[in-house]
Amino acid sequence: MSLVCELAAPFVANSAVDEIDVVRPLRTHTAGCLKCQARHAAMSKTARELTALADEHTKAPADLEWRVMSALEGDLAVPRSWRTPMAVGTAVVSMAAAVIIWRFRPRNPRLTGRIPSFREER
Amino acid sequence: MSNPNDPRQVENEKEKELIARAQQGDRAAFAALVRAHQNEVYTLARRLVGDPHLASDVTQEALIRAWRALPKFRGDAQLSTWLHRITVNTAWTQKKRAKKHAGVPIDELTAIAAPEGANHPAVAGELLELRGRLRAALDRLPEGQRQVVVMKDVYGWSHAEIAEVMDISVAAAKVRLHRARAKLAKDLEEMS
Repeated sequence: MSLVCELAAPFVANSAVDEIDVVRPLRTHTAGCLKCQARHAAMSKTARELTALADEHTKAPADLEWRVMSALEGDLAVPRSWRTPMAVGTAVVSMAAAVIIWRFRPRNPRLTGRIPSFREER
Repeated sequence: MSNPNDPRQVENEKEKELIARAQQGDRAAFAALVRAHQNEVYTLARRLVGDPHLASDVTQEALIRAWRALPKFRGDAQLSTWLHRITVNTAWTQKKRAKKHAGVPIDELTAIAAPEGANHPAVAGELLELRGRLRAALDRLPEGQRQVVVMKDVYGWSHAEIAEVMDISVAAAKVRLHRARAKLAKDLEEMS
């Protein structure tokens, strides 16, 4: 494999994709070099396949439309990557709130002491 | 000459009508546009960012941005081209925000389908194999180079458009593309 082929390789690749001639200083070499011509042919095929990729579509997630339309309705459209952290965060905050409320709950003085017996109350 | 029975033209007319209604604030019309374009927007997002969850978020945000910008859409370009531009911009912004997300093999980006026009099993097999190698080679490219190749060689953007979206000069976009293609060709050669 000649050094010129290696030098020409990027230009051959670009000329194949853009369907233009190779830059002038390398043109004489590539015109007579089987290796460069094979590379040109391979890259032309690749270019066609790249273009064909534009028509290949991956199916979007099933809930995508709902997420978009919910966001437009002003609902909380949570990005999927945030869902787990948000769920965990919500659970932690709820538990902390429950503990605080329990700890500082207003106490009924009648219930703090001894529970009076039925006779005492009468 | 226009042919009122041409299905593509009928689709275009239908889309224009939906756009006009959506521009007036009709959400049902916009939902129909979302349904029509979500797969292509999502595919582009996945090709650009790799990670499927991030791509899903990019698609969602891009479509929301599209809704907000829809009154400014004048119809000079196709709606899909306009949506592509918004998606690329959104992906670019999201990428900056979420650098922690690693790329996902491009193998997963598209369902393996027989290439169009490849009716003969041998030809279809060869093209499928080439497409598989192509996806792997694209995956090997550094992110910036991959994005340039996707925008230029898959979606046919101009150098100027790429430069504008990536916030680089046209010359830099050309150089990046030149390098990306050279690397792509080299990787494909090594794989074969």
